[in-house]
Amino acid sequence: MAQASGTTPGFHQLSITVECAHLRTNGFLKPNPYVEFTIDGKTPRRTETVKTTSQPKWNEDFTVLVTPNSKLLFSVFDHNSFRKDSVIGEKKLDLSQLLSHYNGRCENLELTLDLMCENKPTDSPPKTGELIVVLNGLNVELNNHNNRPSSSFMPLAQTNSDTLPNRSVLNGVRARMRLHGSENVVPPPSRTAMERSSVMASPQNSGTTISNGVPFVAATPLGPPATVPSSNSQTAIDENRPEEPLPPGWEMRYDMYGRRYYVDHNTRSTSWERPQPLPPGWEMRRDARGRIYYVDHNSRTTTWQRPNSERLQHFQQWQGQRQHIVQQGNQRFLYPSQQAAPPGPGTSTSAIQDEDDGLGPLPSGWERRVQPEGRVYFVNHKNRTTQWEDPRTQGQEVCGEMDDSTPLPPGWEIRFTEDNVPYFVDHNTKTTTFQDPRPGAPKGPKGVYGVPRAYERSFRWKIGQFRYLCHSNALPSHIKITVTRQTLFEDSFHTLMRLPAYELRRRLYIIFKGEEGLDYGGVSREWFFLLSHEVLNPMYCLFEYANKNNYSLQINPASYVNPDHLVYFKFIGRFIAMALYHGRFIYSGFTLPFYKRMLNKKLVMKDIESIDPEFYNSLVWIKDNDIDECGLELYFSVDFEVLGQVVHHELKKEGGEDRVTEENKEEYISMMTEWRMTRGIEQQTKAFLDGFNEVVPLEWLKYFDERELELLLCGMQEIDIDDWQRHTIYRHYTRSSKQVVWFWQFVCQADNEKRARLLQFVTGTCRVPVGGFAELMGSNGPQRFCIEKVGKDTWLPRSHTCFNRLDLPPYKSYDQLVEKLNYAIEETDGFGQE
Amino acid sequence: MAATKRLQKELVDIRSSGLKSFRDIHVDETNILTWQGLIVPDNPPYNKGAFKIEINFPAEYPFKPPKINFKTKIYHPNIDEKGQVCLPIISAENWKPATRTDQVIQALVALVNEPEPEHPLRADLAEEYLKDKKKFTKNAEEFTKKHSEKRPAE
Repeated sequence: MAQASGTTPGFHQLSITVECAHLRTNGFLKPNPYVEFTIDGKTPRRTETVKTTSQPKWNEDFTVLVTPNSKLLFSVFDHNSFRKDSVIGEKKLDLSQLLSHYNGRCENLELTLDLMCENKPTDSPPKTGELIVVLNGLNVELNNHNNRPSSSFMPLAQTNSDTLPNRSVLNGVRARMRLHGSENVVPPPSRTAMERSSVMASPQNSGTTISNGVPFVAATPLGPPATVPSSNSQTAIDENRPEEPLPPGWEMRYDMYGRRYYVDHNTRSTSWERPQPLPPGWEMRRDARGRIYYVDHNSRTTTWQRPNSERLQHFQQWQGQRQHIVQQGNQRFLYPSQQAAPPGPGTSTSAIQDEDDGLGPLPSGWERRVQPEGRVYFVNHKNRTTQWEDPRTQGQEVCGEMDDSTPLPPGWEIRFTEDNVPYFVDHNTKTTTFQDPRPGAPKGPKGVYGVPRAYERSFRWKIGQFRYLCHSNALPSHIKITVTRQTLFEDSFHTLMRLPAYELRRRLYIIFKGEEGLDYGGVSREWFFLLSHEVLNPMYCLFEYANKNNYSLQINPASYVNPDHLVYFKFIGRFIAMALYHGRFIYSGFTLPFYKRMLNKKLVMKDIESIDPEFYNSLVWIKDNDIDECGLELYFSVDFEVLGQVVHHELKKEGGEDRVTEENKEEYISMMTEWRMTRGIEQQTKAFLDGFNEVVPLEWLKYFDERELELLLCGMQEIDIDDWQRHTIYRHYTRSSKQVVWFWQFVCQADNEKRARLLQFVTGTCRVPVGGFAELMGSNGPQRFCIEKVGKDTWLPRSHTCFNRLDLPPYKSYDQLVEKLNYAIEETDGFGQE
Repeated sequence: MAATKRLQKELVDIRSSGLKSFRDIHVDETNILTWQGLIVPDNPPYNKGAFKIEINFPAEYPFKPPKINFKTKIYHPNIDEKGQVCLPIISAENWKPATRTDQVIQALVALVNEPEPEHPLRADLAEEYLKDKKKFTKNAEEFTKKHSEKRPAE
């Protein structure tokens, strides 16, 4: 980090391990403690909650960005399910004091922070406990090296908190170097040098740290405990920040709307965002076409977007997920893939269609062919696949087509009446019947796939159909994809885009460079999981989290800052198709509306709710109220903002002059819905779908609804029902209400697939956060799973995915509840409209 | 811009209604999305001064609510040091596209005049307000005298 000049408060990476605390309990009630810390008043980070203990251990690692002058505030809270969480104690830490003492280095520095509670009425705030954290990996070149350790610092040996408790109350923070790991014992000096160098990867650490390896105590009050971390001082910091001078060559100007923007005379470009000096180790460059990009020499990566602290923070957070990825991947499962019996050429099932079948032309790239025996099949030249099913009717209501996977008993044949109704010929007995002879074939009406309805909802059956298509279009041999872990994204991108798309259906042989010779089945699973996490890298600006809900992704309308974004979306489309084709899971799924888009389903107003609840509520209000009365002044035109620019759109020609009235508002609402769901992401979506379709025809997906598609892509997880129940809250019901008891009975009796669908129905995704139901997020931050009593027993249950809330009417019996709930979670279209 | 017609109409209405408690409305012709004005409260301890505010309308107005910021420092349990204010009428849950800016301003003036310590943005001031009203009033009065804008002539 040689570039870090002492005066520029650039950002540095710091790893913080929150280890444990010793809390003083008053009485028999033990708290449920968790730690939250903020850096310079920014978004807090928090640990897990530990249940009922005064000796909590967290051992959680965080990677954060700090400046040498950062102020860290650590707070220990007592979590309470019914009231606001209360502060057990807090401590503010001034990094500059710590750094000036340790010559700009925090390597394995153990801090014992005296927790203070300011709300207690006594004059001197009492100490409520101690928090132990370890800072590591920070190395800043300070401006004034000669900054001598102030006299107030002295060796720990003299001021061990156990021997001098008074002193520790005064000082508030005790620091000492740990010589290795998390051990609290100082090993004999002779051993340390060796151990250190073996533990610490970076060689430059060893020398100096050992030489001043004597642990120290910070005797200066690092934040005088008597003063409240006053909010005024925080404002002062905030107000100061904007006054930081612009980097050389930059200028601030105002546009015609009076909005500030910034001109960079170095690159002759403008930006809405105020430039921050580049963090240490970053450099701005120009590519051969004169486009600006940014190089991060720390990680040897590049990005198109100028890094700012917020983006870097997102990046760190994203990076922090890495360690959980593989573990997560091992927890996902789906039904063991069963290969459907292939109705190969020459089988008795043959359905010959007329040339003119009234279905219109085939999609482009498709061709209809006839086998020598007369059976029709379809060729998709785009991606070199063949199938029996007509792509125009795949997944639609067609009576005439029979693609049941179960073979007929020997001697039986399916034929069709003139009206295209299937019937069955038994050549053994020379009889015919409309009744399907296969064992277990449910009697009853045929559903959309030409099979009995009871089959059709079987997810297993659909997976079988899909797998069959994959198997029957498999190509011989394999392709090699060689990647380096550090450049996983680029390596994979180049390989996948260099090959013709159909080749991606060959068996995969993934090699991580330098790790050759491992079992490649497991390696390919890992590759899918790692790469799918990689594409979410915020530095690529390709995807964003939908509506602060942490788990589902949508295309980022600002992705165009990356001039090559469309090629990347095409690549990701290919990659996602490969995951489905090869039966692998990806790390994080997309929003349900995105899956609907993949299925070419019409997006309805209700779909907006999960991605933009505010917008949705306004649209609902317009639908439900007489708008001629209230001066809304709406016209058939609309705006939105992306990267500080207002993008205007006319919903129809000259829409800006066309007023919305009670009479034409239905049209307006439907146009607004369409626009809201596609604004700023049309081209990207198209590129994604194109890439997908090259590997797997989109028609193949039509067996599934959007919820099944998510399961297929992300896999299922074993759901911990106790955890679910523990972190559920109730409104107008209690834990012991009949309906609530029935609800949990229903959940317990359901299989994993049904539980996943129920979760999708209420939370919008089948996935549970890594930390369990306690970490379920809604549109406005943490939001528990909630069951609310709403309506009458004739109503169906409803859901509000942005609040993780299920509206459960007071049903009269268990059976009624099961019936209604089943109906609601199986149905994917329409009824949920409010 | 799509929101222009609506905002122009609201601006004309609000100017002609002659609100006593909201004056000096200033809107840059080129940017109808930002309004500035002066809140002139009636109740002590704030009736010793006036307070500049800025209203920012999003591009998606009226589908999304405006945001209000105090530009003058104020000693008030519901307004924080950055000038942010928590006003239920423009919260995500309550916002309706038919809510007009004059209603928002009236709600804001009512909140300034009658603090709601039950929903504080500044817990320290709310506590003082509830526990020691006299002290609060004194502090708020001094703060107002020191920091607030001059009240316009009647």
